[in-house]
Amino acid sequence: MTSEDRDLVARAVSGQDTAAFGELIRRHQSHVRNFLRKLAGDYTLADDLAQDCFMHAWDKLQTYSGRGSFIGWLLKVAYTTFLQSKRKSKRYAEILESAGHAADQESRNIVEPNEEVTDLDKYLAVLTEEERAIMVMSYACGLSHREIGDATDMPVGTVKSVIFRGKEKIRNRFEIKDHKHG
Amino acid sequence: MAEKIKDAEDRLLESLFESPSLADDGFSTGVVRKIKRQLWIRRLTLPLAAMIGGVVAFKPLTSLATAISSFSSLIPQDLIGGAVSSIPQFQTIVLGAVLLVVGLVSVRMLEH
Repeated sequence: MTSEDRDLVARAVSGQDTAAFGELIRRHQSHVRNFLRKLAGDYTLADDLAQDCFMHAWDKLQTYSGRGSFIGWLLKVAYTTFLQSKRKSKRYAEILESAGHAADQESRNIVEPNEEVTDLDKYLAVLTEEERAIMVMSYACGLSHREIGDATDMPVGTVKSVIFRGKEKIRNRFEIKDHKHG
Repeated sequence: MAEKIKDAEDRLLESLFESPSLADDGFSTGVVRKIKRQLWIRRLTLPLAAMIGGVVAFKPLTSLATAISSFSSLIPQDLIGGAVSSIPQFQTIVLGAVLLVVGLVSVRMLEH
C-alpha cells in the first residue's frame, strides 16, 4: 500500500503526472475529507478545504521525503490548510466586525444548525482544536504517535499527553465507559 | 490491568471516531481538472510575460544601444587602433548580451 503510494508520488513528481496524483487523491480523499469534516464541523467547508489541501499537496509534493506514510504527510497538509483558513476567516470576521457586521459572525458556527448533532460532535465539542485534530488523527485515521508528531510538528511526548488529556476530558464529561456501541 | 482498561477505552474511542468511507463522486476528477488548469496557466504565463517584456523593452534597448554605438564613434581612431574593425558593433554586443540574459532567466524560470 505505502510502496504503491510512493510509486505514484514518484510518477507525479518526476513527470508532472496528474493521472498518478488523481489516483493518490482517489485513495486518500475519504480520510482527508472525514478528518476535515470532524475539524471544521461544516461538510461543505470541509470539502472545499479538502480541495485546497490536495492543490497544496500537488504544489509541495516534492517535499514528501517518503519517510513516513503518505496519509500522515497529507493530513499535515490538511491540518495546515485548516489552520490557515481559520486564521483567514478570523481576520475576515474582525474586518466585518469593525465594519459593523457583527451579526454575520453568528452564521459561522462550528456545527450548522440544520446538521444532525451526533455523539461524536458532542465529544469533539469538549476538546480544544488541537486536541480534536490529534484525537481524530489517532482514533479516526489510525496514525501512530510519531506520525501525528510529524503532522503537527510536536514531540511524541506532547502528542501522548494531548491524547491523554483529551481522553480524560471525554471520560469525565460523558462517562464513556458506560457507552454501549455496536 | 490498567493497560487492559486503557486498551478497551481506546477501542471504544476508535469505534466512536469511526466514519463511513466517503465515495469519491467526482471529487478527485474535479481536483485534477483544477490542477491541470493551473498547470496550463503557469506554462503560458511565463513565456507570455517574457514576450510582452521583450516587446516593451525592445525599443528603449535599441535606442540605448544606438546611443552607445554613436558615443563609441566619437573616440579617436588612433586610440582604438586597427583592431576595432574586427570587433562586432557595440549595438550587436549589447543586444546579444540582453538576449542572453533574458534567455537564461526565462529558462531558469521555466525549469523552476
